[in-house]
Parts: sequence; structure tokens; C-alpha cells
Amino acid sequence: MKTLIHSLTGFIKGTGDALWFLGDVVLGNILCFRVRIGEVLKQIYEQGVQSVVIISLTALASGVVLALQGYAAISRFGAKEVVPLMVGLTLVRELGPVFAALVFSGKAGARITAELGTMNVNDQIVATRTMGVDPVEFLVVPRFLATVLVLPILTILAEIIGIAGGYFIGVYEAHVPGQFYLNLTFEAIRWVDFFSGFIKVFFFSFFIAWICCYQGYTTRGGSLGVGRFTTKAVAYSYITIIISNAFLTKFILTLWG
Amino acid sequence: MIELTGVSKSFNGQVILDNVNLKVAAGEILVILGESGTGKSVLLKHMIGLIRPDAGEVKIEGKNIAHHTERQLLKLRKDIGFVFQEGALYDFMNCYDNIAFPLREHTKLKEKEISDKIGKVLTLLDLKKVEAKMPAELSGGMKKRVALARAIVLDSKILFCDEPTSGLDPIRSRDISNLIRDISRQLHCTTVITSHNVRNALRVADRIILIAKGRIVFDGKGDEFRGSDKEEIQEFLV
Ligand SMILES: Nc1ncnc2c1ncn2[C@@H]1O[C@H](COP(=O)(O)OP(=O)(O)OP(=O)(O)O)[C@@H](O)[C@H]1O
Ligand SMILES: [Mg+2]
Repeated sequence: MKTLIHSLTGFIKGTGDALWFLGDVVLGNILCFRVRIGEVLKQIYEQGVQSVVIISLTALASGVVLALQGYAAISRFGAKEVVPLMVGLTLVRELGPVFAALVFSGKAGARITAELGTMNVNDQIVATRTMGVDPVEFLVVPRFLATVLVLPILTILAEIIGIAGGYFIGVYEAHVPGQFYLNLTFEAIRWVDFFSGFIKVFFFSFFIAWICCYQGYTTRGGSLGVGRFTTKAVAYSYITIIISNAFLTKFILTLWG
Repeated sequence: MIELTGVSKSFNGQVILDNVNLKVAAGEILVILGESGTGKSVLLKHMIGLIRPDAGEVKIEGKNIAHHTERQLLKLRKDIGFVFQEGALYDFMNCYDNIAFPLREHTKLKEKEISDKIGKVLTLLDLKKVEAKMPAELSGGMKKRVALARAIVLDSKILFCDEPTSGLDPIRSRDISNLIRDISRQLHCTTVITSHNVRNALRVADRIILIAKGRIVFDGKGDEFRGSDKEEIQEFLV
């Protein structure tokens, strides 16, 4: 009982601190235009470039697998025309956003936490304060904003590449004419499909930015601490993405069908 | 210049500072001596508002900073140089950009003027050919000197150094000690240094205080410190 109360108060305090941190980042800096554009661009470049290859690979492989399985299943019934539709819709509504977010948090998110964490244990963050500069403004806000902005772009890229993967299988394995495959895809995907997936990405990127910046900013305990907080950041991001996805999907389906 | 009255601080029920009273005059070089873990760094961090006292006042140039908000403190700290034990240089910038950082943040100098200014500071600190190096490529002594360069580049009137000589060989620590003394004389800085090395403390200090069990147990000139027969000091001198 005592440990339960203890862990519960710990959880509430942790959430409170994290909210306070978020308030400082968003209300105290971003909404007050305390944003260093140069630093943001640098972070966008680093996070984007760093994740582009791995996200593209994941997306390509997902598209290929979806198409392969689709044609395997459909061969029992005929109706090959359904496969482009299935691949496209699955990617755009679910897999694209979720896979991109998961891969991104393991790559760019982990990097953010490790960087901020290392700066923390080496006193670089406190040193920033002693020089009269707000470390949240200088070190956290650029990473936060970059994450929020980069992931949506990467997601669109992932969806295009995923569809290309499916196209590849359709044309070379199932011998569907290329133009026909593409027509089917674009007829199938409506704006509402695209946005019902794309909206989620903004939640995901916001959560990743918040979790990974916060864990890095509160890292303690030397190099061991950096390792611990980084794995924690990635684990929390994964859990948050997967669980929030379930709720978001339910919510969006109720709203739009 | 700097005045602490009745400053107390505990962490998790453990008393680190117990009603500390201390005045540092303008232009004075003060060394805080004490064994490891007695709260020297904690005391120093009170003077720049990184730690807030549980009780008491911390005055910098007459202003009590104990209840300043972080934004007020940030403004105040522009005029204070602080050198961390391990240097705390940004490891994602080269040394030039590290030293230029306070100038770029707080002045409107052009790049040319910044580069002149840095050239001067580097000569003062006898640092050669470090501009393009990353902090990770420097030796411990050089890192401390670059950190010192960054701390004085804005011509701060107050300089705090946390263990500037720890982890250095005797010759390097002597050089650093002399360097800090020269610099703070040249720039007329009020300087507070923490150390557990008595010889270097005697070399730089105008005045020495010794901390033990959260209290100041000695406060006086270097000669008085050497001549004292107090038990704590004798222990420290051996
Ligand atoms: N933020 C903190 N939270 C909890 N305890 C702390 C904190 N900062 C310092 N302490 C404790 O305060 C005591 C004094 O620490 P401090 O760093 O001031 O020692 P020091 O005299 O500078 O030692 P050293 O010579 O090794 O640098 C230590 O016991 C330390 O554990
Ligand atoms: Mg210390």
C-alpha cells in the first residue's frame, strides 16, 4: 500500500514537472517568439537528414510486404484490383504515420535525449545559465520545434516511398500495368484518408519532442544516467505513440468514418 | 560587492551550509578552502543564484538575489564569469565559437571586433592555435584556460572559479593559479575561487576562508592561515 502511494505521488509529481517544462518551452519561449531560427534550421537539417534513409527503408519494405501479402491473399479470390487500394490505404491511414513516428523516435528522439543528457551531466546546461542565456531557449526549443516540423515531412515521404514499394511488386511480381496500378491507388485514396492518418503525426511528433527533450533536460547521474534516460525516452515515446494511436484512431473513425 | 548573511542550505535533511556570513570586497581575491564534500561548490553556486538558500540573503552589488526570478538572474549573470570544475565548454562548438559565445549573445560587436577581442584574450591566457580545435581535443589544463577565457571575455567584474586547479599536475596548477591572479588584477575583478589545495590557495589569495561542517572556521590572510594553530587548519596544512 505504501509503495503504491509512493509510486503514485511520484508519477503525479513527474507528470507535473513534465507539464511545467512543456509550459516553459511552449508558453515561455515559442509563443513569446524566443525562437532562434538558425538553430532550428540546423536541427531540422540534422534530424531530417539523419532519419531519412532509415525511414525510407522502413517504408519501402512495408510497402513491398503489404503488396506481397495482398497478392498472395487475393490469388485465392481473384480481384487483383483490390491490392493497390489496400496497400495505399493501409499506408496512408495507419502504417505510414505510426512507422515513421516509431523509427523517428528511436533515431532522432534518442539522439536528442542523449545530446541534452550529456550536456546536462557535463554542466553545459548550467554553464549556459551562468552565461546569462536561457538553456531552454538556446538548446531545447530548437530541438523541440525541429522535431515537430520534421516528422510530418518525413511521414509524407514515407507514404510515397511505401506506395512505390507496392507499385514495384504490383508491376514486376503481379504483372499489373504500372499506369493501372497508380490510377487505382489515387482513385482509392481520398483526402479524408490522407488527413485521418496525417493528423496523428502532429500528435506523435509533439509527444516525441516533449518526451525526449524533457528526459534529456532532466538527465542525472553521469554516463550511466545518459544511457538510462535515453532508453527511457525511447520506451516512453514508443508506448505513447502506440497507445495514443489507438485512441486517435477510434476518435478519428468516430468523427469521419 | 558580494555579501552573504545567515545563509543556510540543506539537501534531503543534510545540512550543508549552516548560517554562513561572508563579505567579499571589490577587487579582492578570496579562496574558499575545505575538504571534498564540505559545500564549497554549493557556496559558490549560491553567489550566482544557481542554488537558492533555505534561509538568509545573498547580495550582489547591494541587490538581494535570493528571491530573483530566473530571468532576472540571467540578466545579472551577464556581468559575472563562472568557470566550472570541468570547464563545461560546449562540445559541439570549437574553442573559438565557445569563447565568442558570450560576445555574440550579449553584445552587438561585429565578427571582426569579436575576433580581435578573442585574439587579445587568447594572448592574455597564453593560448595558441586552439581556435579551431574542439574541446574534446584539448588537455585538461587547456580546457580550463579556454573556460577561463570564455568567463572573462565580457570583461566581467566578478569571476568565480570552481576548483580551477583540481586534476592538474603541480606545475600546471601553479601556472593556472598565477594566471588567475594576474588576470583578476589586470581586469580589477572581484574573484572567488574554491580549492582544496593549500599551496595554490596561498599563492593566489588576498584572503582565505576555511569551511568545515557547514561553517566558516577560519577567515583571514594567508600568513595568518599558515601561522594558525587551530586544529582544523593544522589538519589541513599537513
Ligand atoms: N543539488 C544537490 N542535491 C543534493 N545534494 C547536493 C547537491 N549539490 C551538492 N550536494 C551535496 O552537498 C555536499 C557538498 O557538495 P559540494 O559539491 O559543495 O562539495 P565541494 O566542497 O565542492 O566538494 P569538492 O571539493 O569535491 O568539489 C555534498 O555532500 C553533496 O552531496
Ligand atoms: Mg566542488
